Amino acid sequence: MRIFVDLAWFFRREWWRYLLGVLILLGVAVLNLIPPRLVGRMVDAIGRHQVGAPLLAQTLASLLTIALVVYVLRQVWRRMLYGSAARLARMLRDQLYEHYSNLSPRFYQQHRIGDMMAHATNDVQAVEQTAGDGILTLVDSLTTGALVVGTMAVTISWKLTLVVLLPMPFMAFATSRYGQLLHRRFAAAQAAFSNLNDKVQENIAGVRVVKAFGQEDSERRAFTAISSDVVAKNIAVARIDALFDPTIQLIVGISYFLAVAVGAVWVVQGSLTLGGLTSFTMYLGQLIWPMLAFGFLVNTVERGSASYERIRRLLGEPVEIRDHPGALDIPPTGDLDVDIERFVYPGSDRAALSEIRFHLPRGATLGVVGRTGSGKTTLLRLMLRAFDLEQGDIRIGGRSIDHVTLRALRHSIAYVPQEPFLFSATIADNIAFGRPGADEKSIREAAAMADVDEDIRRFPEGYRTLVGERGVTLSGGQRQRIAIARALLMDAEVLLLDDALSAVDGRTEARILAALRENRSGRTTIITAHRLSAVQHADLILVLEDGLIREAGTHEELMANGGWYAETFARQQLEALVEEGPSG
Amino acid sequence: MNATPAAMTAARRTEDAPPSLRRSIGVLRRLLRYTRPHARLLTGAFTLLVLATAADVVNPILTKVFIDDYLTPRRFPTWPLAGLAGAYLGLLVATVTLNYLQLLLFQTVALRIVQRLRVDVFSHVQRLGLAFFDRTPAGAVVSRVTNDTEAVKDLFVSVLSAFVQNGVLLIGIFVSMFALDARLAAFCLALAPLILAAMALYGRLAGPAVRRTREWLGQMNTRLSESLQGMHIIQALGQEDRMRRQFAEVNRQHFLARMQTIRLNGWLLRPLVDFIYTLALMMVLAWFGLTSRTGPVEVGVLYAFVNYLDRFFEPVNQMMMRLNLFQQAVVSAGRVFELLDDTTLAPQPAESAKGGPTPRVTRGHIRFEGVSFSYDGHHDVLRDISFEVLPGQTVALVGHTGSGKSSIMNLLMRFYPVTRGRITIDGWPLETFSEEELRQQIGLVLQDPFLFSGDVMTNIRLDRPGVTETDAVDAARFVQAHRFIERLPEGYRAQVGERGATFSAGQRQLLSFARAMAGHPAILVLDEATASIDTETEALIQTALRQMRQGRTTIAIAHRLSTIQDADQILVLHRGRIVESGTHQELLARGGLYHRMYRLQQGGHPSFAPTTVGTGPHTDA
Repeated sequence: MRIFVDLAWFFRREWWRYLLGVLILLGVAVLNLIPPRLVGRMVDAIGRHQVGAPLLAQTLASLLTIALVVYVLRQVWRRMLYGSAARLARMLRDQLYEHYSNLSPRFYQQHRIGDMMAHATNDVQAVEQTAGDGILTLVDSLTTGALVVGTMAVTISWKLTLVVLLPMPFMAFATSRYGQLLHRRFAAAQAAFSNLNDKVQENIAGVRVVKAFGQEDSERRAFTAISSDVVAKNIAVARIDALFDPTIQLIVGISYFLAVAVGAVWVVQGSLTLGGLTSFTMYLGQLIWPMLAFGFLVNTVERGSASYERIRRLLGEPVEIRDHPGALDIPPTGDLDVDIERFVYPGSDRAALSEIRFHLPRGATLGVVGRTGSGKTTLLRLMLRAFDLEQGDIRIGGRSIDHVTLRALRHSIAYVPQEPFLFSATIADNIAFGRPGADEKSIREAAAMADVDEDIRRFPEGYRTLVGERGVTLSGGQRQRIAIARALLMDAEVLLLDDALSAVDGRTEARILAALRENRSGRTTIITAHRLSAVQHADLILVLEDGLIREAGTHEELMANGGWYAETFARQQLEALVEEGPSG
Repeated sequence: MNATPAAMTAARRTEDAPPSLRRSIGVLRRLLRYTRPHARLLTGAFTLLVLATAADVVNPILTKVFIDDYLTPRRFPTWPLAGLAGAYLGLLVATVTLNYLQLLLFQTVALRIVQRLRVDVFSHVQRLGLAFFDRTPAGAVVSRVTNDTEAVKDLFVSVLSAFVQNGVLLIGIFVSMFALDARLAAFCLALAPLILAAMALYGRLAGPAVRRTREWLGQMNTRLSESLQGMHIIQALGQEDRMRRQFAEVNRQHFLARMQTIRLNGWLLRPLVDFIYTLALMMVLAWFGLTSRTGPVEVGVLYAFVNYLDRFFEPVNQMMMRLNLFQQAVVSAGRVFELLDDTTLAPQPAESAKGGPTPRVTRGHIRFEGVSFSYDGHHDVLRDISFEVLPGQTVALVGHTGSGKSSIMNLLMRFYPVTRGRITIDGWPLETFSEEELRQQIGLVLQDPFLFSGDVMTNIRLDRPGVTETDAVDAARFVQAHRFIERLPEGYRAQVGERGATFSAGQRQLLSFARAMAGHPAILVLDEATASIDTETEALIQTALRQMRQGRTTIAIAHRLSTIQDADQILVLHRGRIVESGTHQELLARGGLYHRMYRLQQGGHPSFAPTTVGTGPHTDA
């Protein structure tokens, strides 16, 4: 029941809704106590053949009035309780989303997206259920149950009440126990289903290998086995699930039997009328739900607590990258000074970068090359403050990037990542992602600079074409170029291209680079690349190896050096020629 | 992989609009056909259900007998009463047991039916050709096989069985009521249209709200998952606030739809059914009240009627709550059937090749004769390709991305049908070979070395009848993979992490070499990777490639200079045509290429040794 304490802040916030909801729930319970009495009175009157027109009319009118009032009141408590719970779910989702958007890449490295999704969907749902159904079952099982039992005991017979209540705890116990078992088996069934999903995903992703090696039959057999497992796990669930109804039926049946059998004795003795007995069995019917509710309550609360705990832990994750006190909210401009003594990724013991120092005048282009893992991307990420640099400093226009707000910093920097990520929206929206509301003309211009305008116009709906699952499939090069257009449209002080030309061919690359030179005069550009032709024209080229600067200089200087750069450049030139064939 | 033009055409999913009635019926019919193999089990389950219901509805009658025949006249003979009590309790136990069995049986059958459907659709997907996968997003196929069939499961497990079970119970209750008092029962039957009207009203009014809620929820989850995947971009471009606002808006819309659902459920679901219950109760009371004024009535009958009414409405509630699932399941089932009916099958051996003896690959002599090919039927990616690879020779295909290299490979692998021109192996047309022979004799090494979950051994052997563990180890030795595999903690039994994430790109390639070689293919088809690979592994790969090619007909989409230089023949492709061919030396001698290469070598880099491409340009259509 701790969950209700944990959620107290919310109940206080929504106090009048909950108060009203609970009061009405109680009101409905009280009103529902009347019809069985009315029916009992009628039964006795009928038994004595004394049904007068006034009695009949009065009974029917009362029943109808109560039914109408209850009908309306139920509306109100549903809206109060379920509505509040939905409000809580909405709040938690917003909070989670906001928190997710503040967390740093480090958090994203350590957590799986599937888990984060689960928190925002399943866990929020479980908490919503606790705040809605949980409260309902709490009120129903405790108060309504007590009310009905009290009425049975006081107005009809406390002894008979005691007798028929005997089997009821078994029902609460059994359903709660089933619920636990069911939960566990259900989790197993879910896991089996997720296996099935993985298998299909693997099969589709590896379709060429499957076909090339004639593995279709084998895959079919493997799939059949996994789907049999799904069936087995679901049957295990069904074994428990199918117990609920019969158990309830059995216990309620026994209670009814006791009511009639034992009640008959008192009827004979004259301490109970037949009408009273009828009322009594009707009350008994009203008791079933509160008893069940008690069983449900235990499970709902248990699940809700675990879920809420997970959500709280997540919301408690510290935001690592934040604005420093007194940070200026002015986008920095000017020369770039990088002075990195040493940077180690959290949780690693090897320096990803050390002794990286250079000065880049405003408007210059920097090329960063080196093998995979040499530290190129790390350098760019530090500039973006994806991680905080502790030993060293990066300054733009003489001001440390720590001394401006994140918003201002990222306003000054446009970034194209290695793996271009596009959103499921139109191509125009994707290009305008960093500058929402940009007009069509500037979107087109940015696309043209990234050499993707023609491609886009060939799509059935041009710039309005949707990207992603429901839209067109783009080639790797097209995605990269759209990501470049997106960054160019931001027209930022510093442009970072993180191996962003790897999937375009040499000629396209040359066109894009020429467009950059033409359109980005006066602003700084940093290009990392595997293919050296991408940095050939840079004002300064750094060759990184294991996080250290191995070579530095202009293309001509580096070629003259005859080191890794010169060697790699010559080889790549040759390969490019072979690739392009004699016509290139 | 090269993006084929077919892959570029929009593959749009139809929106999940509620299906028309005729379509729904069609889909439902087809689904019901899946119950046929289980006819006996279903009959059994149904019999149990009818028995359980019969036992169930008899009990109020027993109570009635007790009240009217014994309690009211105050007669209490021991044995008949004990019999009555025994019957009551016996029937109760019988009901409960039979009910449990029928519930379980119905669920089991439902699960089996869905499994059949799943296996059917998965098997069908295995038969589909690559042309299908080019135009269908992977996520959509996965969703058809898993999520949509899951929705069909709900249909069988929750909806259909609940309707049958509750329907039978309602009929049972009515039969008993008729047995007790036909005229009153007839009156009660008048309630049926009222209940049906409530159901129809609920479907009409709340259905759309429920659907809307689900749609918003879907959108919210899509948005969330996409945001999480692209968070680095959202943060780098400083769009957190905007995305937050957009999410909040979707969240709000979902909330509003949910509130509407709560309101409509309140007006139309349980509270309404309870209200109708009171109306029924009033009717019964009025009936007995009025009859008692003119003649004697049996109070026991009244008791039984009240009791029946109490039970009558829960099944109605159950049925109404499940109406929503029904529509969703029909939409999903429709999508599954659409996939089942897709006819983009993989190329099959020609009719003439079936039955009779099929040719075998003996020497690996490959000929392309005037082959043209198009993925989409409009735009040719191969035009009049003719070349010959003598047994044991290596042919290197070079050219731009999109020049047709991959298409030649795709045709030789029989991933797509050859429609114009002819491809022969050892003189036999490609389509005359059986599937087994072709797959066994052509070893394919893909650019992206796909690894399956499982251990290293299974990844090399796959499930090929002729490939033993020894073959696999030999192949691993042969391609220089044995050393690194042995150094793994569990050697050949080491588990391959998610898609081989625990291995370096180079190691993954060596594994895919081993996989290709383990089957002792006569022909090797090689799509060289362009991924950057550490120097040490690169040296292993080069040695391996050289050994693999030796004495084996090889067609290579080459990126490594060493492969190209060693080739017996180089085909230079440009826009689907072979524009030049010859050996390395011949090509160099022929003109521009040679001179430029020569100049480069003279440019003062004597250390230049053709090693790896590492970062060659790739993929842009």
